[in-house]
Amino acid sequence: MEKVYMALAAALAVGLSAVATAWAQSKIGAAGAGTLAEKPELSATIIILVAIPETMVILGFVVAITILTL
Amino acid sequence: MIARMAKIEIIGPNELLMAVLAQLRELGVFQIEQDITCFVGAGEGEAEKVRSALLDEKALAEKIFYEDLRGRIDELFACLPKAEIRASYLDPAGLLDSIIATVQRHGVTCREWCRKKETLQKELVELSGYAVILGAVEPVLCTLSPKSGIDFIGVTIRDPAALEEVMRLLTTLTQGKFEILTVKAADGTLIGLITLEKELAEKVRKTLGDQRVPELTFPETFAHLAFPEKIRYLRTRMDEVTAELDAIDGELTRFTQRWGAIYARVRSWLDERLGIYRNMAYLHQTGMCFFIHGWTPEAEVARLDEAVTAKFRGEVVVEKKQVLEQDLDLVPVALRNPPYFRPFELFARLLPLPRYASLDPTPFIAVCFPLFFGMILGDAGYGVILLGLALVLGRVFRRRDTVRDVARILLICSCYTILFGIFYGEFFGEAGARLLGWEEALIVERREAIVPMLFFALSVGLAHILLGLVLGFVTALKRKTGREALYKLATIVVILCLLALFLSYQEIFPRLLAKPLTLMLLFLIPVLFFAGGVLAPLELLKTIGNIVSYARIMAIGLASVLLARVANRFAGMTGNVALGLLLAVLFHAINIVLGVFSPTIHALRLHYVEFYSKFMAPGGRKFEPLHKDESNMNGNRRM
Repeated sequence: MEKVYMALAAALAVGLSAVATAWAQSKIGAAGAGTLAEKPELSATIIILVAIPETMVILGFVVAITILTL
Repeated sequence: MIARMAKIEIIGPNELLMAVLAQLRELGVFQIEQDITCFVGAGEGEAEKVRSALLDEKALAEKIFYEDLRGRIDELFACLPKAEIRASYLDPAGLLDSIIATVQRHGVTCREWCRKKETLQKELVELSGYAVILGAVEPVLCTLSPKSGIDFIGVTIRDPAALEEVMRLLTTLTQGKFEILTVKAADGTLIGLITLEKELAEKVRKTLGDQRVPELTFPETFAHLAFPEKIRYLRTRMDEVTAELDAIDGELTRFTQRWGAIYARVRSWLDERLGIYRNMAYLHQTGMCFFIHGWTPEAEVARLDEAVTAKFRGEVVVEKKQVLEQDLDLVPVALRNPPYFRPFELFARLLPLPRYASLDPTPFIAVCFPLFFGMILGDAGYGVILLGLALVLGRVFRRRDTVRDVARILLICSCYTILFGIFYGEFFGEAGARLLGWEEALIVERREAIVPMLFFALSVGLAHILLGLVLGFVTALKRKTGREALYKLATIVVILCLLALFLSYQEIFPRLLAKPLTLMLLFLIPVLFFAGGVLAPLELLKTIGNIVSYARIMAIGLASVLLARVANRFAGMTGNVALGLLLAVLFHAINIVLGVFSPTIHALRLHYVEFYSKFMAPGGRKFEPLHKDESNMNGNRRM
């Protein structure tokens, strides 16, 4: 039973953080696309802004690995 | 690296001003400084004696003349087609009177050609629209004899839903004795051709008019002709118009080939002259002499001095001044890197330039970016494909600077990908490696060793962030901001203490160290507050988050290797060699595309967000020296 809880916890750690990342990226991506249409020179800034929320899912992934292995 | 710049003042008699400016453009190493506050000394009344340089009457007349000629040449080029033109070595200075007369004459001719071309193109478009309609009904018309008692009505039905309404109306009027053929026009409206008995035609025309279904009208030139003749007329006229258009295009191309190079050279010469006049606004003079203030790379000072002294025989003086601390924000930034690092300036240019007294991140990104890329993708097979792609890109686009730089970056990254592929024992996933006889990974099998890979990625992150903090410390010392330097140093020590504490709890370091390390951390917290302000602990947490962020190197790498595995499994499941091969190629192609984009974006992000924030001081001004336009002198080009 403990293993099931651990697997569920790991899945939640990755799944919820992935949903949060996706939601944040959808908002930033849409705004970024609008910005690029007007100022193409900001492409590097937009790439950074879109990539920033990915830290959440990476942290979720690390937490999941910690739950399952350590 | 950021090139060292020298602060230069050029002084000479007023009458030599234009010649000196032309010489500076020729040399292409001097940027004029608009803000002279850092040049004009503190001597009393000195600033009042120096005023902005003004154009005299002759220079002003010349400027207006050049602008007018430039406008006329632009108008002429607007009429000409885009074509490859040869280089011209004409010196327009002595031929301006002939050029202005010729450009006027050619302008009239070309404008007339363009007007005629526009009219013919308009007519062709109009005729093409009718040709679509008449072409569709031609087969029906050919089968009918002129004495068949049949008439035709063309109608325009704007709303396709109204077609049924029209058909109902026609059924009532003709008792079903009609046929309707519809064609969709280019603008989406329906064109209908109604075939019916001649005696009913007038009645139907009137009723359709009352119901606001407009009858299709033809231009006057062929409105009076019968339908079959209309088709013949259309075809003949379209052929004639096309031939006329071809003739005009031929004339324009011949004209471009003959005169394009000359006019492009004159335009370039005019741009140079007008550029000199534009720069006049940033120059200064007194009653007798002029001052040009600006910047030049330290390495070019001797060449600039020699060239000016030789040309003006000592009448113009080039003086190197001391760069003061308050000038640092004004000094323009020029990046000068060795050939291996140079393509990576592309990444540095995507963000604002670093300030003059800070560090150029290019060498660091040139070393770490390919390393991260290789660590993430890490597959020898993919690396070989990327290597081939980089070589092809570099060869095909060798004249386009940006693409050539991208190809070079890809070449270096592909080498690292092959290297890490060998370390990880991957060649199109593990299946390909087995085919090559690599039974085991050279160093680590990353799909199995998840936790070791995670610690490896975090270690890389720790090293990278510590490097960033050390660079930040050095930059702060260079900029003489002691408090910031202390904050960076304290952060480095705190992170090292935390690491040692973690290792001692893991019993890698002696447990005895835990207590002194904790005490040291307690001592460092007030130092952090003092140097970094109230938000310092938050910043420290952010830095630790930055290190954890490097876990993406392992996470994305794992995703990549698992995708390759999926590709091989799917291919194996088909049971058919050809189909399996096709599927494997397809999946691996998708993985390669993902494998190029994903590591690029994440490796860049690790630099831009995690690494740069530790030492970069953005806000540098790009070094933009006066220079000649070389584009018209370097062989053929597209106009």
